[in-house]
Amino acid sequence: MLSTRAANRGDETPRLGKRTLIGALVGLLLICPRAWASDVVDWEKPGFSLHGFGTLGISRTDQNDRAEYVRDLSQARGAGANWTGKVDSLLGIQANYRFGPRTEAVVQAVTREHGEDPYDPELTWAFLRHEVLPEIALRVGRLGTEFYMLGDSRLVGFSNISVRPPPDFYGSLVFSYIDGLDLSGTWPVAQGLLNGKLFAGRSPERAPFSPGLEWNQRGTLLAGGFLDFRRNDWQFRISHAGVRFNHETPTDLLLQQLGDPLSGVPYLTLVPEMAMQDRWARFSSIGLVYDSGPLNLQLMLNRIAQDSPAYADSRAGYLLASYRLGKLTPYVGYSRSLTSRDPLPSSPIPGVDAITLALVAQSHMDQFTTTLGGRWDLARNLALKAQVDWIRGEPDSLFLFKHVRPGWDGDMTVYSLALDFVF
Amino acid sequence: MHALTLPLLIGLLGLAELASADAVVVVNARSGIERLSRDQVTNIFLGRYRGLPGGGTAMPIDQPESSALRAEFYRKLVNKDLTEINAYWSRLIFSGKTTPPWRTFSSQEVATLLAGNPDAIAYLERGQIDKRFRIVLEFSP
Repeated sequence: MLSTRAANRGDETPRLGKRTLIGALVGLLLICPRAWASDVVDWEKPGFSLHGFGTLGISRTDQNDRAEYVRDLSQARGAGANWTGKVDSLLGIQANYRFGPRTEAVVQAVTREHGEDPYDPELTWAFLRHEVLPEIALRVGRLGTEFYMLGDSRLVGFSNISVRPPPDFYGSLVFSYIDGLDLSGTWPVAQGLLNGKLFAGRSPERAPFSPGLEWNQRGTLLAGGFLDFRRNDWQFRISHAGVRFNHETPTDLLLQQLGDPLSGVPYLTLVPEMAMQDRWARFSSIGLVYDSGPLNLQLMLNRIAQDSPAYADSRAGYLLASYRLGKLTPYVGYSRSLTSRDPLPSSPIPGVDAITLALVAQSHMDQFTTTLGGRWDLARNLALKAQVDWIRGEPDSLFLFKHVRPGWDGDMTVYSLALDFVF
Repeated sequence: MHALTLPLLIGLLGLAELASADAVVVVNARSGIERLSRDQVTNIFLGRYRGLPGGGTAMPIDQPESSALRAEFYRKLVNKDLTEINAYWSRLIFSGKTTPPWRTFSSQEVATLLAGNPDAIAYLERGQIDKRFRIVLEFSP
């Protein structure tokens, strides 16, 4: 009965504008605090259910617009000196249809600031899930990527302790989903649970490259997997994923915007080693979570190795600790990101090496972030968070920022407020 | 004085209600399961692994959202608030993983579902137990 009511609610949404939609959903949430209970899932019979999640978040920095702060590189614009909702505000709607005890279809759409078309809704998940065996599930369709632990739910603010997953660690990821399949399994092993997943697919996404330009990722191959072991309060995961890029970066268009220093000569004909197409990037990570009652500790480390010298290799890590005191959960975090400086290809033509150096410099990072915040659970489906991030970096730490202007010294303080909800 | 005593009284009543809840984990008496460990019950209710010792897939049933027994159960099982349990499930639901326990609207509904399904597992007030059910895990007071 409740499911039917949810279905009617869903039918009304396409006719409404985005702002009206967000307002209506928040209003609905506030007048209907038990809405969370409406997701009745019937195990035996077919059933439809509708869920949603979202964040109303504002943030600003102390940097007087010398650089804009983004939560990850899928965002082309971010926060400056004035409060803005761009970084964290988003709304997601999900419909589940259960065909039977072992088969389910899920469709999820999210509207958020990303790419060059802000708040253009994206289809983030659309798949069929079937339990081949009780321990093994196969999913086919559009699937969230899980390069790192917790990486496939980084937009669901309510499920995370901090306002956003640490950008030092998750920020360099531009891939949110693939069109492909994944296979996961869980087995009891040594008084714990061993969980593994394999995934492969192609990207349907575009990634911001520089102001006004996007790097087409359509067809880029993504494949990987992880092994995860959980016992008592501990969870450990080792992950690996590879990405084979399907298109070149729009370097020539960028150079034309910057005064056409090569007089129209394609850059890659001068420095072919800088090609990205058909080159691999490899993402390796380990994650450790300790979750015992009110205490939660997360430690993650990653390493990204690029075949092409066009992007610098990098390492990153974070530690996040939180302790729940009734409805209030204070947390502290520390994160670090660092790129290595590998030898760059050289060209005999005057001026080309300077261009190569400038292009690779865009992917440089050398910074650490200290985070302090609090999560206040207002209701069972509503949480308010306040957070301050102190980023301390080198002046050439550019990768995780947008619109960097002269005077940038690598230091930034970010203030954030967020209201996270699920329904 | 009255301004203080009323909230105090309500607080004490709330405490009394919580203290009176004595959650025990139960299965259908026809299931053949004698005991489950705390880890097994955690895995079943948190959707991590639902295979039953005798084969088959466990079907966990939750008490209603507002029930004191539900808060008591998750507090004793994993020392978590219901808010944390909701946050946990929101991560799994919105990343298309497993399904949460079956939701109900009354404890009578829980008992009826449990009695009608050999693979069902639920938690009930100790006083609700009759011969249709078997206790498989008790929490120390």
